[in-house]
Amino acid sequence: MQRIITSPRNNWQKAVENLGFGFHTTNVPYWDESAYYQFGMDEVLFIEKATAELWDLCLGAVQHVMDNDLYGKFGIPQEFIPYIERTWTEDHPAIYGRFDLCYKNGQLKLLEFNADTPTSLYEAGIIQWFWLQDFDKGKDQFNSIHEKLIGYWKYLKNYLYPGMLHFTCLKGTLEDLTNTEYMRDCAIQGGLETKLIFTDDIGWDSDSLTFVDMEDQPIKNIFKLYPWEWMLSDEFGKQILEDRNKAFWVEPAWKMLLSNKAILPVLWELYPECPYLLPAYFEEGKLTDYVKKPLLSREGANIVLMQNHSLLQQTTGDYGKEGYIFQELFALPEFGGNFPVIGSWVIGQEPAGMGIREANGLITENTSRFVPHLIG
Amino acid sequence: MKRTKKTRHIQLMLITAALASCHQPNKEWQNGNRTYVRSDSTAPYSRAYYPHPGSLLLWYYAFRPYGNYYNGYYRRAGYYSDAIRPSSNIGSNGFKSSVVRGGFGRGGFSVSS
Repeated sequence: MQRIITSPRNNWQKAVENLGFGFHTTNVPYWDESAYYQFGMDEVLFIEKATAELWDLCLGAVQHVMDNDLYGKFGIPQEFIPYIERTWTEDHPAIYGRFDLCYKNGQLKLLEFNADTPTSLYEAGIIQWFWLQDFDKGKDQFNSIHEKLIGYWKYLKNYLYPGMLHFTCLKGTLEDLTNTEYMRDCAIQGGLETKLIFTDDIGWDSDSLTFVDMEDQPIKNIFKLYPWEWMLSDEFGKQILEDRNKAFWVEPAWKMLLSNKAILPVLWELYPECPYLLPAYFEEGKLTDYVKKPLLSREGANIVLMQNHSLLQQTTGDYGKEGYIFQELFALPEFGGNFPVIGSWVIGQEPAGMGIREANGLITENTSRFVPHLIG
Repeated sequence: MKRTKKTRHIQLMLITAALASCHQPNKEWQNGNRTYVRSDSTAPYSRAYYPHPGSLLLWYYAFRPYGNYYNGYYRRAGYYSDAIRPSSNIGSNGFKSSVVRGGFGRGGFSVSS
């Protein structure tokens, strides 16, 4: 893995905007093609293999949580447990997830799993692919995200209810809309009939006890870019349990176990021999160098890094009331003041590609940059 | 043919057209903060006020409607911006007395993860 400085394309902003990528720059640059990461094929195969193994372990961990009734560790409300277990036992459709990995000195370690609402899908699947077309189209890239998404939607079509597949995200956020519309694009190409409805606009029909869209048509299949923990605490959360259509929500509710940091100590307890896992615990005091993570934090909020029991770095935010886990510190590698984290995608049941986000410090926050990669 | 790790060909059907225009400034929409919008044929007129756009990118499509094609006809479903009051940002179906909206979406501003 090398970081190589290069010249951005002339008028690169126009190039990415032509792809519908409107959030390439906010207050700080987000899409950054002034550098790229080069991997050897052996490294990519290593990341791919680790991703497949981690996915298998995660499925085992979900079953373990259910078998041993560990929901209390995850802060999940009691009344939703039967529903979560139903989505698991009935194998409700799921499509994707992103492992955040630290790759350093030949070792690869899982930092967390964005299993419910992973973002940067469009950057990883589309923007960096087109960058490589311009940069050197003869080169390869660990990125079959697009074809795997289309292929898996095609496969899922037989497992969804007949008819419309709705797509939903919050209003007023171009990033979320882009990711959602991209996913919808892939579903359309997979042969599905789709419709967009913003999460804020979803209706509940108290006569028919069903969720409805803006035209009061029933929602039976819906892809959501909106986290389960927010859904459950929303006013309509309990309506999910009453829904007579028993709509398929994609990702399904069992994914909230994997997107919760509480899965990290569970994984470690189950698979301490796994080379891709870091020691992680629910209790403080078992580690000397560690990261304290809120169960539900997003974008690196409320993270505390401790080294030899002294504060190394921390971020602020609104998370933490839900509880914490403690994970052994495995600091991100540094490339001239840049600290990359690998986002390795699982689509369907398979590794599908990666995207790299760089931060200026050891904690990857919402000011991180997306940097493309290629296989050298 | 040499086996590669990347997608061989990419075609986008929806997203480019849907999103490429979202960040294009439109002078007409920039003029003034107050806008009177009628969201659909059954809703009353309502006043939308949008003084502090959370994102400049979104400002440009604040009042752009979104909808779907059905049997060849475009049907408006709502507006991109939450500046339109929920009471007026409703669908075109008149039989909506038993439908309540706004029960999801209070969780945050973006799901970025």
